[in-house]
Amino acid sequence: MIELQEVTLRYGNREILNRVSLTIEDNKIKAVVGPSGVGKSTILKLILGLIKPNSGKILIDGVDITPLKESQLYPIRRKMGIVFQGNALFDSMSISENMGFFLRENLKLSEKQIERKVQEQIAFAGLEGYEDALPEKLSGGMKKRVAIGRALIFNPVMILFDEPTAGLDPPSSEKILELIDSLKAKNNLGAVIVTHIIGDVFKVADSVAVLYEGEIIFDDDPNKLHDSEHDFIQSIVSKKILEQ
Amino acid sequence: MSQSAIDKFSSKVDLSMKEFFLNMQEFFLFSIRAFITIPKIKRYWRDFLDQAKIAGTDSLPIVLVSSISIGALLAVEVGNLLEDFGAKTMLGRSTALSIIRELGPLLMGLMLSARYGSRNGAELGAMKISEQIDALRAFGTDPIAKLVMPRLTAALVVFVPLTAIADFSGLYSAALIAEHYHKIDPGIFWNAVFPRLELKDFVVGFLKAPVFAIIITLVSCFNGFIAQGGTAGVGRSTIKGIVVSSGLLLIANFYVSKLVLENM
Repeated sequence: MIELQEVTLRYGNREILNRVSLTIEDNKIKAVVGPSGVGKSTILKLILGLIKPNSGKILIDGVDITPLKESQLYPIRRKMGIVFQGNALFDSMSISENMGFFLRENLKLSEKQIERKVQEQIAFAGLEGYEDALPEKLSGGMKKRVAIGRALIFNPVMILFDEPTAGLDPPSSEKILELIDSLKAKNNLGAVIVTHIIGDVFKVADSVAVLYEGEIIFDDDPNKLHDSEHDFIQSIVSKKILEQ
Repeated sequence: MSQSAIDKFSSKVDLSMKEFFLNMQEFFLFSIRAFITIPKIKRYWRDFLDQAKIAGTDSLPIVLVSSISIGALLAVEVGNLLEDFGAKTMLGRSTALSIIRELGPLLMGLMLSARYGSRNGAELGAMKISEQIDALRAFGTDPIAKLVMPRLTAALVVFVPLTAIADFSGLYSAALIAEHYHKIDPGIFWNAVFPRLELKDFVVGFLKAPVFAIIITLVSCFNGFIAQGGTAGVGRSTIKGIVVSSGLLLIANFYVSKLVLENM
C-alpha cells in the first residue's frame, strides 16, 4: 500500500503540492486527474523517491521513504514499475534489450533466464516478431506496450502510469486500457494512473483523486464525481477542461 | 532608480546567487559520486570501451589536424622571429617547449571539450528530458555509475596517449616546416629538442591530460544531467558545458604549469 501523508512540495517560491494526502491500496486502480502542470506526474516521482518532498511522509508498505538514501530506495522501487509519459525507452537498444536491460543490471540471472523472462513480457505486450526492432520503428501504442512490459519485468505489485493514453489514437488507447485492466484482473496488480483524460478514469479506475491548485479536492469512487458541487469537478465531468 | 526596481534587482541577484551555489553544491556531490563509482568499472567495461573509442580513436583526426597545424604555424612564426636574432637553430627547443608544455595539451583539451564534451552534454541532456535517466533510477540503476563513470575513466585513460600523439605530430610538423621553409637541417632541429628537454617539461604537459579529462567529462555530463526545457534546454546545457569546461581548461592550464614549474 502507498500512502502520502500531508506532502508539501515547493520549487523555489512556487508551491506544487500543499499538504496532499492520498492512499493507494494494493490490487486497486487509483486515478489522479487534474489540469496540465498541476503536479500529477510529480506525485509519481515522489512515490518512487525520485524527488523528495519539503515536508510530509510517503509510506510504501508502511516504510517512510522520505529519509532514505538512493541505495536504500532501490529495493523499494522494485516493488513498483513505472510507465513514463514519453515511455523513456533506450533508443539505441532493441525492444528485447530494453526489456532485459534492468534484469541484466540488477539481478544475477543467467542469460537463458533473462531471455525467457523477456519473451514472456514480449508475448504479454503482443509484440512477437519485433524483438530486434529499435523503438523508433514502432508506433506510439507499441512503444507504450514495450514500456508496460518493461515495467513488469521485476514482478512488481504496483504499476505507475504517467498519462498512459496521451497522444495515442483511439484504438491504441483502447488497447492500452485493456492491458491495464488485465494487469489487475489477471496479475492482481494495483496501479496509479495519472491522466488528464477523464474518459480513461471511468473505464479503469476503482477510485479517483482530483488534484487542483496543489490540493486534493476529491478522492472517491469515480461515479461520485457527478455528485460533487465543486466548479472544477463539474467542469471535468462535463468534459470541458481536461480534454481540451 | 526607484526603490521597487532596486528591490526587484537585488532579489534577482539573490536568486541567481542562490542558484549558483546550489548548482556548485550539486556539481561537487555529482563529481564525488562519479569517482566513488569507479570500482564498478568491471560491471560497465563495455560502456567504458565504447567511451574510450569515442574519446580516443574517434577524436584522433581532430587532434591531429589541430596539433599539426599549430605546430606548423608555430614553426613559421617563431622561426621568423629567431631569424631576426640569428638564432634559428634554437627553433627546435622553443617549439618543443611550447608544444609539450602548453599548446599540445591545451589544444587537445579544447578540441576534446568541443567534441567529446558536446557529445556528452547533448546525449545525456536528451536522456534527461526524455526521462531515460529517471527510468534508470526508477528501475534501480545508478545513472552516474552507468553513464558518467565510464566516460570519466575512458577520458582519464585515453587523454594521456592523445596528448603524446598531439605533441609528437605538432613537433613533427614543426620539424618539416623547419627543414623546408626555414632550411634548418633536421639533425640540428631534433638535436635542439630532445637533449634539452627536462623531466618537468613532460610532467607539466602530461599532468594536464588527466586534469582536462576530469574537467571536460564532469562539467559536460553534469550539464547534461541538469538539462531542462525540451530540445532548446538540451542545446543550452550543451553550450554551457562547452563554455564552462573550456574556460576551466584555460585556468587549469595556467595553474598546472605554475605549480609544476615552481616546484620541480
